[in-house]
Amino acid sequence: MATEKTDKPDRFDEVDWTELAGTRRRDLSVNSLGMIATTLPLVALFAYDWRFVGEREATFGAVGLEADWSGIDFMFVFTLLLFCFYLVLPLYQHPRMTRYYWREFKRNRPAVVSLGWLLVVFVGGLLGPLVLNAPQQDVLAGHQPPVFLSIDAANVAQCLGEVRGGRCYGTWQYPLGTTRGGKGVFRTIVYGMTISTQIAFITTTIVAAIGVSVGTASAYAGGWVDELLMRFVDIVLSFPTLLMFLLILYIYGAGLGMFIFVFSLFAWGGTARYVRSKSLSVAEAAYIDASRLSGAGTYRVVRRHVVPNTASSIITQLTLLVPGFLLAEAQLAFLELGDSELPSWGQLISAGRSDLAFAPWIVLAPGIVLFLTILAFNFLGDALLDALDPQTEAETER
Amino acid sequence: MGLPRYVAARIVWAAVVSLVIVTITFVLMAAAPNPAIQEAATQAALEGGDPQEAVERERELRGLDEPLHVRYLDFLTGVYTLEWGWSEHRSQPVTEALSEGLYYTAQYSVPWTILTMLIGPLVGVYSAANMYSWKDHLATGFAFFGYAIPNFFFGIILLLLFGVWLDWIPVVYNTDVAVFSLENVRQLAIPVFVLVTGSIGAIMRVSRNESAEFRNADFMKTAKAKGVSPLRAYAYHVMRPTLVPLSTTLVGQLLAIFLGSSLLVEVVFGIPGLGRLTFDALVAQDTNLVLGSTLIFTFIAVIGNLLEDIVFTVLDPRISYDDR
Repeated sequence: MATEKTDKPDRFDEVDWTELAGTRRRDLSVNSLGMIATTLPLVALFAYDWRFVGEREATFGAVGLEADWSGIDFMFVFTLLLFCFYLVLPLYQHPRMTRYYWREFKRNRPAVVSLGWLLVVFVGGLLGPLVLNAPQQDVLAGHQPPVFLSIDAANVAQCLGEVRGGRCYGTWQYPLGTTRGGKGVFRTIVYGMTISTQIAFITTTIVAAIGVSVGTASAYAGGWVDELLMRFVDIVLSFPTLLMFLLILYIYGAGLGMFIFVFSLFAWGGTARYVRSKSLSVAEAAYIDASRLSGAGTYRVVRRHVVPNTASSIITQLTLLVPGFLLAEAQLAFLELGDSELPSWGQLISAGRSDLAFAPWIVLAPGIVLFLTILAFNFLGDALLDALDPQTEAETER
Repeated sequence: MGLPRYVAARIVWAAVVSLVIVTITFVLMAAAPNPAIQEAATQAALEGGDPQEAVERERELRGLDEPLHVRYLDFLTGVYTLEWGWSEHRSQPVTEALSEGLYYTAQYSVPWTILTMLIGPLVGVYSAANMYSWKDHLATGFAFFGYAIPNFFFGIILLLLFGVWLDWIPVVYNTDVAVFSLENVRQLAIPVFVLVTGSIGAIMRVSRNESAEFRNADFMKTAKAKGVSPLRAYAYHVMRPTLVPLSTTLVGQLLAIFLGSSLLVEVVFGIPGLGRLTFDALVAQDTNLVLGSTLIFTFIAVIGNLLEDIVFTVLDPRISYDDR
């Protein structure tokens, strides 16, 4: 352990009192500094986009780039920054714990595969739109089969690959074939990854922010505040979100931003309840008493001890929430009630439904990708539960 | 606080929740421009009349010129006395359209709910009894498959497989067949199967993990020592305590799937039930029917949650009423 170059010694019997004394003034950690340093340009860019760039002009038009950012993109970048500075960077800063988590996590092989798949979706969603052009309509190239597969030549207007024995074979130009309108299925799936990644990141951030605040506030305030907040959580929990969203969609019309907003606003109930019960049990622990005795205020106790100690269960819970959002988005897109411009997986499934009998790849490819992603989140949640929370393991071994 | 008082308080609370949701619905509706009024204005302009005047008349006709609180009270009375208005799109009262939809929805929901409640806990306990054997792994794999596969996607694939390629089941739902006939069983088998796979997974997991806890409990050792057969031991001593925590997830699970997936499954299989009705109303811009179907799903959700809580307290005498 002595060879490691970490800021703090990995020993608990030596306390660097000068360091602790220094933290009494609100000194900012590296993480917070990095967060602020990167968020400020983002906010400035948002203000610039909002104030000076026209409705139909691209955000980066001034520097000659085509990219146009909407509110969702700004939000997405912000959540990515949060993720980097408060999840990835801490893991790097504490290599010993990271190695321990990884050792625990590695024992669950399906979960490792799941993590790999989710990384593929994440990287594909992040970089895909930069590398690949958006799928274009091309009626002449409709119903092309995927590579190595073939389709009766009567079903395609023009076969891009070779025609053998009256059957049209797929080409590498469209690795997963094309839809009726000639959009490449593979490209649409990659673009759909962006949407799924955005949904996953933004909703979890909002849900975590509201859930953790309400949960800890409820646990710490107690009394009528607790009662009021928990009754409010009851309402949120019994709220039929999908229907309310349909109603909002019907009255006002709604795009992806509205979807994320409504769904994350009514999904934090479970998280808040969970955080509350967890913080109540953490608050009983002896180390909380110890830090109180050393003169820590409520804010410090909550910020430094309670929230970090509930983090593991929150992460698990959020992992299991994400597939619900992805599924809801796919369902709405399938019903063609969402934003029809959005190249999401559900939209592709719905587009291929009428041609299912002779061109099943249009439905199968996005459907399987959606299935695998939801499955991966479930496996991952299960594995995180075991890896992050030593108590549950102790219970199962008993 | 005793049980009757707890139940009474819980019912009052359910009423409050429903009131809150109905109020939110009202606010949403009141804040938006009514499409019917726009339509009247367009109509008047097309016919050479005064659009402004037509808008006034339409507003008066619909009672929109009244102050907000009067409209709110009217809305509340309407909702709670089941005066849900007239559906333009179906040319019948909304309540009648909804009860017709409910008739078809019930035909697949009842077998689906019964099957889930029977098979889920049974397989879960069986899985726990054979923990880490291939049977357990098979059941676990099935559970994960079930709740990861999107219901509507699974439905489409099965319809393609059994309806189009194998021709075992009718592709188009036939409303003329009798409820208790072989024909009806044939056309509802796949929708029910899809929904059961979707809802059974979580229940199997919960009952497996819960019953694993009781498998090695002292009372099981006693039962075994007395020579009770394994079947009886599991049925009497493991199943019963497992059902208590299970009942909390069960209703929530079924409701979530009922509210979301049944809509999709009805659209996929062409069943003219409540979900299909909602979808058609949305597409046809039939405001009263959209509102009506939102309300009925809301009431089902509120009542479901209420029943869940009450059943939970009745089943588990250890629960403290003050803790809620």
